[in-house]
Amino acid sequence: MKRYISMFILIVVCFLLQTTLFQSLQIANVIPNLLLVLVAASGFMYGRMMGMCSGILCGLLMDCLYSNVIGLGILMFVIIGYINGMANKLYFKDDMSIPLSAIVISDFIYGIMYYMFNFMLRGRLDFVSYFKGVILPEAVYTVIVGVLLYKFLHWLEDKMYPPVEIPLEITGVSTEEE
Amino acid sequence: MRKRTKVTIDPKYILIVIVVICVALIFVSFKFEDKMAPLRSVVGNAVTPMQRGINSIGAKISEVMEYVTSLEKLVKENNELKEEIDSLSAENKLLQQDKYELENFRKLYSLDEQYAGYPKVTARVVSSDGDNWANSFIIDKGSDDGLAVNMNVMAGDGLVGIITKVNKSYSKVRSIIDDASSVAGTFLKTSDSCFVSGNLQLANQGIIEITDIDGTADIKDGYAVVTSQISNKYLPGILIGYAKDLKKDSTNITQRGYLTPAADFSKLNMVLVITQVKDSEDLEEMLDK
Repeated sequence: MKRYISMFILIVVCFLLQTTLFQSLQIANVIPNLLLVLVAASGFMYGRMMGMCSGILCGLLMDCLYSNVIGLGILMFVIIGYINGMANKLYFKDDMSIPLSAIVISDFIYGIMYYMFNFMLRGRLDFVSYFKGVILPEAVYTVIVGVLLYKFLHWLEDKMYPPVEIPLEITGVSTEEE
Repeated sequence: MRKRTKVTIDPKYILIVIVVICVALIFVSFKFEDKMAPLRSVVGNAVTPMQRGINSIGAKISEVMEYVTSLEKLVKENNELKEEIDSLSAENKLLQQDKYELENFRKLYSLDEQYAGYPKVTARVVSSDGDNWANSFIIDKGSDDGLAVNMNVMAGDGLVGIITKVNKSYSKVRSIIDDASSVAGTFLKTSDSCFVSGNLQLANQGIIEITDIDGTADIKDGYAVVTSQISNKYLPGILIGYAKDLKKDSTNITQRGYLTPAADFSKLNMVLVITQVKDSEDLEEMLDK
């Protein structure tokens, strides 16, 4: 429960930051997709359900304020959350490479879906230029911010649920530092 | 070990349910836009005041950041600028002549009165679009301040966009550089009509497209483009920007080119909303006859 509440607050804060503060921190004309990082991270760290829940919230926020139709954003974010939730088994806290590549892949999927729904259907077919102009820079910037966000999420997780040291009896490997 | 919540339903099915609901929602909000307004306003009313607060902090931070990072640049720039001043002052004289000419033309088309006569309301830009695909923003005035959908929005003396959604205390503006935006324009000097449409690929360079200009039109780069009489949403005679890189289409029947908007889209803080909606019913009646 604590997790859900903290994620809710985080998403709202990140949404506010993304729509205001980060507009003035643009690099190469793009802003990082913080909400996507949160959806991907919650899916990846806590499983499919959590991923979908944050997906719904993020999508709802974006749709209600900035989209013409409600539902499209929710759909895209929920799919991202679910896909990342499927990779939950690969989650291992100390390894940053997998979650970061998950963010990149998620951002590509999000970008491609956004392009398909909002641009391709209107006859804007020059995918390569959209890929170079928006999707790629956004992914790079998002990953950089994603690293920091992930560090914060791990720190938060440790605060909320301090790791319990389990003495390992059967295997000889010890998790404790010597 | 982490405690697992005891949900026995497979997330797979929940995903399917959500997807179905979303698709239904898309259709509903497409068909009955008004029905979704309460939901939008609940979220919007909760979020926009917070955005307004953070935005003012953000503006300050970016000011400080700019100050720190640009110090070195400034020295270099200063030298360059000094050189530029010379060439600019020469250019300025030319422009002043142009301005005089422009004013004459405005009088000629009796646009001047209309332009100043439009009732206007100032509004502050609260937040910009949350993603990199669209170019729309939220302003802090809504129906309580007398705003309505389809009102034109200006900054300085140039057209910025049009209000597409209005709530009690805030409204959404789609800018003319947005990919979905298209404005009927006309060349001030020659009265040739054209279409000014936003394009995401060009938006980052700060320019937009003009298309469908008559092939025989005698137009040159730098000519001013204003909103046209025939537009059914934009009031006539609002300056959109200046044409550049005009060229003939391959068919030779039409010309196309680019347009530098008169409003600076990278630094939108305050905008003017013209609180007069174009009465397009008259126009439609006229067109029917």
